[in-house]
Amino acid sequence: MLGVISLLAIISAIPIFAIIINIYSEGLKYVSLSFLIDFPPPPISGGAGGIGPALVGSLILIGLATVIGGAIGFFTGLYLSEYSHTKLAQYTQMFLQIMVEFPTIIIGLFAYSVLVAPLKRFNAFAGAFALSIVIIPYIALNVREAYKSIPYTLKEAAFSLGLSYPKVYLRVLLSTAKRGVLTALLIGMAKAGGETAPLLLTILGTTFTYFEGLDQPINAIPLLIYNFALSPYERWHQVAWGASAVLLTIILTIFIISRLVVKEVKI
Amino acid sequence: MSLVEISNLNAWYGDKHVLKNINLEIPRNIIFAIMGPSGCGKSTLLRAMNRLLELNPNAKVSGQVKIDGIDVYSDKIDITWVRRQFGMVFQIPNPFPHLSIYDNVAIGPRMNGLVKNKSELDQLVKWALEKAYLWDEVKNDLKKPASMLSGGQQQRLCIARALALKPKIILMDEPTANLDPVAASKIEELMLELKEDYTIVIVTHNPQQAARVSDYVAFLYMGELIEVGETSQVFTRPVHKLTERYVVGKIG
Repeated sequence: MLGVISLLAIISAIPIFAIIINIYSEGLKYVSLSFLIDFPPPPISGGAGGIGPALVGSLILIGLATVIGGAIGFFTGLYLSEYSHTKLAQYTQMFLQIMVEFPTIIIGLFAYSVLVAPLKRFNAFAGAFALSIVIIPYIALNVREAYKSIPYTLKEAAFSLGLSYPKVYLRVLLSTAKRGVLTALLIGMAKAGGETAPLLLTILGTTFTYFEGLDQPINAIPLLIYNFALSPYERWHQVAWGASAVLLTIILTIFIISRLVVKEVKI
Repeated sequence: MSLVEISNLNAWYGDKHVLKNINLEIPRNIIFAIMGPSGCGKSTLLRAMNRLLELNPNAKVSGQVKIDGIDVYSDKIDITWVRRQFGMVFQIPNPFPHLSIYDNVAIGPRMNGLVKNKSELDQLVKWALEKAYLWDEVKNDLKKPASMLSGGQQQRLCIARALALKPKIILMDEPTANLDPVAASKIEELMLELKEDYTIVIVTHNPQQAARVSDYVAFLYMGELIEVGETSQVFTRPVHKLTERYVVGKIG
């Protein structure tokens, strides 16, 4: 029995290794410094090209989504932890748990209807907005856990010193919970970096321009992979493989950092 | 005027009436013990004084607690000021584990803006650690995390943290309950020393401890104040039958 279970456990772990090996063996050979900076190649002729605009776009989107989603998610999580006895907190938590499971394409469609259609232009901000909505529940629920894990006696100690609520929660206790909070933000960043669906209907995906303003279209690595992989051009397929290797590296790096952060907590 | 005057104090957790019409005066520069079996409301009474009870969303309080004649439940009062008048030491030693020994003591005065500069803060930290009998043991390790200290040292660090706020009174909630006997007796010695300058209210479920350290004692039973008086009097000639049964160990 134990043998069967162990075997199933091993089988379930196979895909992640298969994916990593597959992506790196197909994609790594195209990655170089110029690949990270250059424009994509023209479909038919020209040099190898790169993913410069999409990489810049992804970093901008991740940054913006983390700032917006991080701020809202952080304070929501703090509220959920400290006011868990209120009806508002209980309902908010329930809604956030539902939102975690929400199809992200629907969030993209929502961003389209409020930020793209009225402006009559695909734009970077709409993409960041959609990604923020995607990551808020992840950040809020993880921040809640981080604050919940602080022993009650430390809260009492902080308040007994005559400190105000903001000082207790944002200074004394935040420094106790900082690793949990940091992990929450990193999980949000990884999520924002890897999502494609919310971007399809919001940022459009430019191929040959860098960032030109938050009200303008922009590209992102997952979207570039999607568009290029579907194209009929062999050299664009190669760029998509290379971009996949870069994206996987970004996500794995964030993940490893968050693991190291968590590991330190236990000491 | 007594330092603390408590009148008609009631407290509830939800529907549960945990403090019933408490009237109590705490004189200055003495050790005042509140004793009683677990669940009698001792810790609640302590937290009703410095309004820490309000951290519990189910708790409700009515009545008056005055410190130096000022009602801590008055509408106009700043709750952070109230809490600074009462230094508090808890049952489980609870220094901030991620902060250094120095910062644990410095955090209160620093964040409350009670000192003008670094050297003043350094002096205050040193003074508080000396008062708590801890300076000699930690003076070379001030930058090290508080979590490296032993349980007894951590509790003395918490006493130093409370002293650094220059409170009018020190509340101790079973401060030795989680310590070994040697560490516990050190805390008791320290209390007797601090009595010179401070008023100390100690909550204990152990009548022997109350007898050893306190000048005045109040006996609390099921939320009611049964008896209060000079310790020698209460332990030798208790007025109330319940008190007598408690001090000889028949209840508790």
